[in-house]
Formats: sequence, structure tokens, C-alpha cells
Amino acid sequence: MAARVETAAAPARRRLLPYFALHEWLVFLTVAFLVLMALVGPALAPSGIYRSNILNALAPPSAEHWFGTDDQGRDVLWRVVAGAQISLLSSILIVVLYSLIGVAVATAATLGPRWLDEVIMRGTDIGLALPGLVVALGFAAALGPSIQSGIIAMALTGWPMTARLLRTTMRQTMEQPFVDGARALGVSPARLMLTHVLPNSLDVLIVKWAGDINNTLLILASLSFIGVGAQPPSPEWGAMISAGRSTMSTAWWAVAAPGAAVAVTAIAFGFLGDILQARRDPSLRKR
Amino acid sequence: MVDTPFANAPLVPATNDAAPLLDVRGLSVSFGHGPAAVRLVDNVSFAVGAGERVALVGESGSGKSVTAQALMRLNPHMQVSGVVQIGGCNLVALSDKEMTAERGASIGMVFQDPMSSLDPLMTIGDQVAETLRLRGVSAAAARARALRVLDELRVDRAAERLAAYPHEFSGGMRQRVVIAMALIGEPKVLIADEPTTALDVRVQERVLDLLYSVSKERGLAVLLITHDMGIVAGFADRVMVMYAGRIIEQNDVEPLFASPRHPYTQGLLGAIPRIDQKREQLQSIPGAPPTPFTRPPGCHFNPRCAMAMEICRKDYPAMIETGSARVACHIHGGGHA
Ligand SMILES: Nc1ncnc2c1ncn2[C@@H]1O[C@H](COP(=O)(O)OP(=O)(O)OP(=O)(O)O)[C@@H](O)[C@H]1O
Ligand SMILES: [Mg+2]
Repeated sequence: MAARVETAAAPARRRLLPYFALHEWLVFLTVAFLVLMALVGPALAPSGIYRSNILNALAPPSAEHWFGTDDQGRDVLWRVVAGAQISLLSSILIVVLYSLIGVAVATAATLGPRWLDEVIMRGTDIGLALPGLVVALGFAAALGPSIQSGIIAMALTGWPMTARLLRTTMRQTMEQPFVDGARALGVSPARLMLTHVLPNSLDVLIVKWAGDINNTLLILASLSFIGVGAQPPSPEWGAMISAGRSTMSTAWWAVAAPGAAVAVTAIAFGFLGDILQARRDPSLRKR
Repeated sequence: MVDTPFANAPLVPATNDAAPLLDVRGLSVSFGHGPAAVRLVDNVSFAVGAGERVALVGESGSGKSVTAQALMRLNPHMQVSGVVQIGGCNLVALSDKEMTAERGASIGMVFQDPMSSLDPLMTIGDQVAETLRLRGVSAAAARARALRVLDELRVDRAAERLAAYPHEFSGGMRQRVVIAMALIGEPKVLIADEPTTALDVRVQERVLDLLYSVSKERGLAVLLITHDMGIVAGFADRVMVMYAGRIIEQNDVEPLFASPRHPYTQGLLGAIPRIDQKREQLQSIPGAPPTPFTRPPGCHFNPRCAMAMEICRKDYPAMIETGSARVACHIHGGGHA
């Protein structure tokens, strides 16, 4: 009798950690490891990675240099570890910055009068029609070649796709009955946008973010390659790949290590996007 | 429960003959501009008193939901004209900002589909409390009130479930939550657009019982939109019948069921199966209602009306008032509108 009463009223037990499957934990660990590497890598790396030591150039992998050395005789693995900061954090920063611009633009287009929406959408059309790399190149060149100009250039040019996608989704969300429901309760248009429409539209971006980070990583590398992004002897991954290409036939490791870093990062962030999307839908959440 | 869930006493005593809380005069709604404009609701007038429950019935597409949306001014593309008076304030004349403040506070609305009328990403507690939070009530006080209203609407284990999300609730429970959201701001008028159509019959009854008692206790004026004449008979004091964007008859519920005057209402009531009727007596109205683009001249019902006369094809009939009844039909005399 007492036991029955207890089961009926037993409150849901709270878990210490939210429920995640094994592969999800693997993705989180990888992403956490990459981010950690980006944060502390440069501090841990020996100072030798910025100095050339031609005598030891293109040494194959050994106990001392696990991924060999590059054409300047610098340890490839440590350069990859240190380069995570420039490559990954810069990419994340760029995506965050232009997503904020995109969210602001999409919200203004959805909330504002029709003419403003028209103006903004024509603006994004133009932005989308121009090749992103070329525009970023122009910006970066105008600002002077450095990793900072690369970041500013890409943040200022990356938002149109985000704005467009989000604005379309927000328009769709506006059609949902709960939006009329909230309006019938007296929720003002601005608050409606921020507390109901925007949160219910962000899913598209969360999935897009993962792909965006990879994309940005590659464009940033291209900028470095052309000479307007990261400057030597910066261990930026894209720059390392470009530099290693000329000696790839004899020293595969100088390309393989940064290449693997880019690939692992791409896959990890891709999966992270999928997991976050599934988690955002509370009906998929396990309690 | 010690205190009542609704902090304020009813604003007007719950009697039918008090001055109407909701007074609608000459409400017309159209969409579009110039030659493409289409009038969906045409010169609709009615009143709902405190504690009164009025049903708005009619076939699909007759303009019931458009009327409700126009009262709430939910659709910015609708051109609404006429007067919608609530407590001395004409909603049609308000600025958008003023109207936003009236929603939830003087006029609330419950929608048909409880599955999709809640924000899937927001907890039940936050959604029910939202109206109060908008009006500057502290989070703790709003939560406490939300809890009391949910309790009043008999949501089981409401305290535990404030932190739950809509998908964790059954359809009937969700509709109670939706009603709680609409009522927590203590509106004087509640519009319920087919609030129980998506629910099964037993849940439907319970939700309507709740609405009925809230309306009695608080003196809430309820405008119930429905297709279901069975619901009308059990719930409403008065019935309005809509056809092709116009109200063609209104009357208290008993006389309307006992002696419908408009041939359309007669057809509509004839079309409900009743246990005490033989099968042969069941009738339905031949033909289909016109769309807003194809309304015939004269009385819009004339092509389907067995009793149509010459004048019915020329002039729209005026609304004639006799006792509690109002009917717009040439059979009952009165000339054209
Ligand atoms: N946003 C809109 N724009 C243009 N026409 C509309 C709009 N909403 C409704 N209509 C038209 O207005 C007419 C009345 O629609 P309404 O939704 O009010 O019907 P209803 O009486 O509520 O029907 P139901 O019983 O099926 O809910 C229909 O012909 C419909 O096509
Ligand atoms: Mg409807």
C-alpha cells in the first residue's frame, strides 16, 4: 500500500549528467580536445616551432618528431597543436561574428516593414552573388595582410547566407499557430520575435554552424595561402598544407598532419551540429 | 484552495441583461485592394453580455474564424471596419501598440489545435505566466498565479509540471493549459475558435464544462465558434448563425432549436441526426455555400433555398427583430438591407 503510493508520487530522478550515447560522448570529447588544444597549444609548444633549423629539414617521423619536420626543420606535430589556435578559434570567432550579424539582419527583415525586408533581401542577394573568397580577399587586402584582417573580412562578408536562411525559417515559424497564440496573449511584436520566433528558428543555424566552421577554416587557409591571411612563420593549418604541398612527394607528413587536423575538426563539428539539433527539440530530449 | 485563482472579482455581475461586455457593430473584413479585394465578413453586428456564452455556427468557410481574428486584430493584412466595443474602448480604432496591450487583458482567444498552439521550446509554466510577465508581474508571483489557474482548470500535478514541455502533455491537458494562458490575464471576453474539435468526445466535454463554470463564476463573456450543434445546445445561451460572411439569424438557444426561422437554420438543424427522429426525416441542405468570390446577388442563400422568392434574388434582406429573435430573411418581411 505504502509502496504503491510512493511509486505513484515518485518525482522524476534527476541525472547528474544529461543522457548522451557513446558516440555522442566521443564527438564531445573530440571537440573539447580540439578547443583545449586551441586554447593552450601555443603555450605548451616548444619555442623551436617558430625557428627554422634547415639542417633537420624534412626529417621523417621519429621518436623525437612524431610527425617529422617540415622544410624549415620544425616539428610538424607541435606546429599543428599550436596552429589550432589560429585555425580553429579564428574560424569559430568568424562564424560567431557573422552569425550575430545574420541574426540581427534576419530579425530586422522579419520584424520591420515590407520595404525594409525587400531592401535587406536584395542586399543579401548581391552579397550572395559575389564570390565570398574574392570579397574577403579585397577586404583583407584593403585592411593590410594579417590574420586580424582575415577575421574582420570574413565576419563582414559571411553573413548573407545565414541571414537569408534564418529569415526564411523565421517567416515559416511565424505561420505556426503558437505564434498567433502568443500574439493573442498580448505579446508585443519585438518580444514575439525574440522569445518565440527566433528560438524556434535557430535550428537551421545550429546545423549550418558546423559546416560553416569547416568552410571558414578552409577560406581562412586560402587567404593565408594567397598571402593576405596568416603570415609566416604562423603555424596556421591551411598555410601549413599549402607550404607542404611542394614537398609532398618526398615528405608526406608535412601535409598529412595538418590535413588530418582539418579532417578531424570537420568531422567532429559536423557531428556536433547533428547532436545539437537533435537536442534542441525537447520531444527528443530524454528526461 | 484558500484564495480564488482569479485575483479580481468579476467586473460585471453575471447576468444576461447587463450592458453587453462585447458590442460589435457593423463589422466588415476584407482582404486585398481595388478590384482584387474580397469581403470575407460583411456588416456583422452582435453583443455578448457578462457571463453570457454565445455560439457562432455555420458551415465551413462562412467566415467564423475570420470574424474571430478580426475581433482580436490578429491578421495585419485584414482590413477591418466597424466597431468592436469592449468596456468603452473601440478595438478597431486602437493603434497597433494599444491593441497589443488589450490582447490577453480585455480579450483573449483559444485556438482549435492545442497540439500546435503552444511554443514547443518553452515550459508550460513560462507560457502560462507569460501574460503576467508582460505586465510587469514578478517571476515568482506570476508562477504562483499560473499554478493556481492550472489547479483551477484541474491540470493534475500542476506544480510538478510547470517545468514540463508541451509534448509531455495530452491533448486535453494542453487545451487546459491554453485556456489557462488565455484566462490568467483576466480578460472580460474570451473567444474560443473550435476549442475542442481536435479532442475526443469525453475530453471535449470536460474542457467545455470547465469553460462553462469559469464563465459563470467570473462573468466571462464567451464567444464559442463551433460546427457542432450538440455542443451549442449544451453550452450556449444564445446562438448566431453565419452564412457567407453574414449573420443570418440569432436567437436564444431554446427558441432557436425549437423554431428556427431562417430556411438555412432550419436546414442546418435538420441536418443533425436526432435519436427521436426517424431516418427519413433527416435532411441536408442541397448545394454548397458560395465562396467569397461567388456570392450571388440578393440573399446569398437564395440558390439553395427551397422557399426563395423573386425579391430574394435581388435584395439582401434586412435584419428583423422580434422578441429574442433576429433574422434576415424576406419570408419574415422587412424589405431590403
Ligand atoms: N488569410 C486569408 N486570406 C484570404 N482569405 C481568407 C483568409 N482566411 C480565410 N479566408 C477565406 O475566408 C473565408 C472564411 O474563412 P473562415 O476561416 O473564417 O471560415 P470558417 O467559418 O472559420 O470555416 P471553418 O468552419 O472551416 O473553420 C474562406 O472562404 C477562406 O478561404
Ligand atoms: Mg474556422
